[in-house]
Amino acid sequence: MNKSWVLIKREFLIRVKTKGFIIGTLALPVLLVVLMGIQIAMQSVGAREKKTLALMDLTGRVAPAYQIYMNENYQDDQKIPLYTFETVTAAPESLAAVTSRLNTLVQEEKLNGLIILPADIFQTSQFELHARNISNMEFNATLERSISSVVSDLRLAESGLDRELVRKLTQRMDLKTFKVSETGTKEESGMVAFWISYAMMLILYMALIFYGQFVMRGVYEDKNSRVMEVVLSSARADQLMAGKIIGIGGAGLLQFLIWAIFIALASAYGMVMMNYFAPGAGQIPLPTVSVSVYLAFFVYFVLGYFIYATLYATLGSLVNDEADAQSLQWPVTMLIVLGFLFMFFILNNPNSTLAVILSLIPFFTPLLMFLRISVGAAPMWQVALSVVLMIASIFALIWLTGRIFRVGLLMYGKKPNLPEVLKWIRYS
Amino acid sequence: MTNAVTLTRVCKSFDTVRAVEELSLQIPQGEIFGLLGPNGAGKTTTIRMLLGILMPDSGTIEILGKSSCREIADQVGFLPEERGLFKRMVIIDIIKFFAELKGIPPRRAVPLADMWLERFELKGWRDKKVEELSKGMQQKVQFITTILHEPKLVFLDEPFSGLDPVNTNLIKDVMLELVKNGTTIVFSTHMMEQAEKLCDALCLMNNGRNVLQGSLAEVKGRFGRNRCRISYEGDARFLKDSALVSRYDDYGQYVEIQPADGVTAQALLAQAISQVTVRSFDITEPSLNEIFINVVTGGAGTGGNHE
Repeated sequence: MNKSWVLIKREFLIRVKTKGFIIGTLALPVLLVVLMGIQIAMQSVGAREKKTLALMDLTGRVAPAYQIYMNENYQDDQKIPLYTFETVTAAPESLAAVTSRLNTLVQEEKLNGLIILPADIFQTSQFELHARNISNMEFNATLERSISSVVSDLRLAESGLDRELVRKLTQRMDLKTFKVSETGTKEESGMVAFWISYAMMLILYMALIFYGQFVMRGVYEDKNSRVMEVVLSSARADQLMAGKIIGIGGAGLLQFLIWAIFIALASAYGMVMMNYFAPGAGQIPLPTVSVSVYLAFFVYFVLGYFIYATLYATLGSLVNDEADAQSLQWPVTMLIVLGFLFMFFILNNPNSTLAVILSLIPFFTPLLMFLRISVGAAPMWQVALSVVLMIASIFALIWLTGRIFRVGLLMYGKKPNLPEVLKWIRYS
Repeated sequence: MTNAVTLTRVCKSFDTVRAVEELSLQIPQGEIFGLLGPNGAGKTTTIRMLLGILMPDSGTIEILGKSSCREIADQVGFLPEERGLFKRMVIIDIIKFFAELKGIPPRRAVPLADMWLERFELKGWRDKKVEELSKGMQQKVQFITTILHEPKLVFLDEPFSGLDPVNTNLIKDVMLELVKNGTTIVFSTHMMEQAEKLCDALCLMNNGRNVLQGSLAEVKGRFGRNRCRISYEGDARFLKDSALVSRYDDYGQYVEIQPADGVTAQALLAQAISQVTVRSFDITEPSLNEIFINVVTGGAGTGGNHE
């Protein structure tokens, strides 16, 4: 135990002390702050940006109503309309010449854009935008929405129907979702819950691969520098493996902890800051995730890490360089990717027998059982069983791979094939 | 004298390769023991089994009174043939790490480390990373990590390979000091000159077997009949056909002669004097190098000489 501790300490310190670790750990929060800053800046700039548009109304009926609609619905904080329109008309024979003149103005940036409402807009429901930037999704959506609304109103008026009545009758439905769980029932947005689970799963997925490969690299680097042999003369192979896995895992966990603290701080103060820099930029509702989901995330991260780090450490003991490692590691990486691919199936059928079975397979449990917990589909006994199964398979894996690991570390030269590896299990 | 290590009929094979076969040997306590043999003789496998890194297929190992090195790992030091240190670690941290692995807490390890670094002229490199050091310096650092915890038994696999004469001497002096303080040193080499200077006893391995074992004097005695080296003026070719001579090697400046059974060096000298002007006459022992080549190329060591 004492030797394991010495080995763990070395692995942990040598990683935590590196520039790469410190930069990597700080980079994410800095990146988040920068992204948040950019978003705030964009929102405050975007909110104040005025646009001057040429409005060529070939029907002669839409433009007045449209201008009124836009002036009423799109204003900045000081109630000044965001869009200024210069209405243009053109006779059919001069249409091409006028269009080309206006396009030139757009190109010279004297106009932000040219909107053409064709004479047959009531039949075709199509209109044109000529602009330098036609990929501003928000602006495009605004145009579509507003023109649709104005044109629809005009159609209704012409057919003699009561506009208000029609609106009332054709009102869109709003879905309100209520989450039912052990702690009670409360209103919650289904989409937000999904995106949070999705993000956390993505983190789990990347962390398992990333830290697993970290362990693998650590093993073959030490094997390559021939230092393993000396260590093996003082400590057992399983102690060595424990040192690698726990030491690197500890460094990873520390990194996560720093990020978690940062995110907690950011969500606590982020809103305050945002409102300070960009008043009225919008209240983004912060999603709430129950403590049990966080707990499940932590438990499955740790257990999943142990399973995959053991496998990756064994791979590391078999290879001598990155190229060998790349060609040997796909079965292990595949297991993680496969778990990730099952996600969509599980999400649609979280309680099906297949979902239960898949989420109980220890290699998939970290991702799939976590997903089922976060959508509230996993009963307690399944969660408990999955944890027991994972712990059991960790021990089985350590026993099995420990033997390969010990032999592999002393084998230099060509990378072994599967029958050779199986033989090692027997004669080590 | 008790034995630090006893191997009894130890076998180890990898797949189809029989690395060590029926190896029995005794390593006396407090001596320098040479494990000699050509490449692929099974030296490294033997050392790995002694260290408990590999398990023998059959046979028994007794090491410092225990059946496995695992139980007394803290009393053993090991310098592997393929040197290796953690490249990105600072020298003093590496020494501290290996000491702690052997149960020496850092507060005790650091003063010892400083003492050794000073002695090996590495004081200025204490806080540098391994990758900044030359090969020879790294080797000295590794030697320090091997002996810092004052082990009772030290395994040195080719300790001098790649070292210049000054550093070779430094390490040799430390080895002799350790032995004086009761440490047992097992070292493997194929540099016979070194073995001849340092070993009290030795074992010559070939094809996984112990083909020759004993104290240096015993081994030489077994190959024994003394050789005479004569330098002379005149024509010494008569010696080639003399009944007194069983083997004759002309090296130009001198001839080396193996007297026939029962012939004394005196008789040989008398005959030489009668024919040529003898400038010098030496009685030399066979060098370990000769014995080595003889045994390895000529089959099992029977103690006789092969014509």
